[in-house]
Amino acid sequence: MEIMRIVVTGPVGAGKSSFIRTISEIEAVDTDRKATDETAALKTKTTVAMDFGRLQFGQNVALHLYGTPGQERFDFMWDILIRKAHAFVLLVSSHRPQDFRSARRILAFMRHRAKIPMLIGLSHADNPAAWPMEEIMLALGYLSPHNRPPTVPVNALETTSVANALAALIEAYARDQMAELNRLNKDALI
Amino acid sequence: MAINVTKLEMTLQQFVANASNVQGAALVSPDGLTLASSLPGGMDEERVAAMSAAMLSLGERIGRELNRGDIARILVEGEQGYGILTSCTEEAVFLILADHNAKLGVINLEIKNVIGELRKQLLGLAQPVGL
Repeated sequence: MEIMRIVVTGPVGAGKSSFIRTISEIEAVDTDRKATDETAALKTKTTVAMDFGRLQFGQNVALHLYGTPGQERFDFMWDILIRKAHAFVLLVSSHRPQDFRSARRILAFMRHRAKIPMLIGLSHADNPAAWPMEEIMLALGYLSPHNRPPTVPVNALETTSVANALAALIEAYARDQMAELNRLNKDALI
Repeated sequence: MAINVTKLEMTLQQFVANASNVQGAALVSPDGLTLASSLPGGMDEERVAAMSAAMLSLGERIGRELNRGDIARILVEGEQGYGILTSCTEEAVFLILADHNAKLGVINLEIKNVIGELRKQLLGLAQPVGL
């Protein structure tokens, strides 16, 4: 059985814990604590270490999903979790532009530590105040339409939506592996 | 009665100064914010608080899922010494850092004593000082 570790990250309240709870086959392991910082305005509880969920994918692949805390003071958890990850999802609330900067910082942090395939999931995309995808991408620093990671709208509370996002991520991962394999083959021929 | 942060800080400072082999102490909220601290120089209290909260929540999760019951204490033993987390009140976790020469029995007693004092202050049970 092969295990693929996927990290789900993003700013506070983007839906990381919900994402994992929605798709996990086992009862998701959470480490929620009552929020007493500015998070409390958004929700009552916040993740302080990690979330963990598991999902069987096909016959011999098990997905292990790790959710990070959103606040920057927990960046040591970001570091611990991303180092062993095969791919990651960055969840961003489309209707909270004030979070884009934090999302961008998390993105830079992860990118710096791990050169692994990723996916951007835009949550709350159906909210009337949601920003259009193109503008969010600009805000995240993807100025050119080329070389952007795959981006999908995600409803973290809906199983199909979360499953689609994971499928897109796994596809990106497979593409990456193929490219790596081709590169190795080419090197071997020379 | 309101919580007197200055007094909390002072209690921690005295504890660190008087208890043998103790290098630092901090009182943090379960979601990883500092309430009061007296830490060795160069240690960022925000990070210390976040780490304590993460460690405690994972420890409690282990306690629950692996049937160890409520967690009284989490101990990290390293070459350079100990980090001990003890729950203080529902809203506060107590962390101490001790060097490798520390005697665990003594440290445990010290922790017990100071937690009694901290708890009083946090729950507002401390007698107001009459002038």
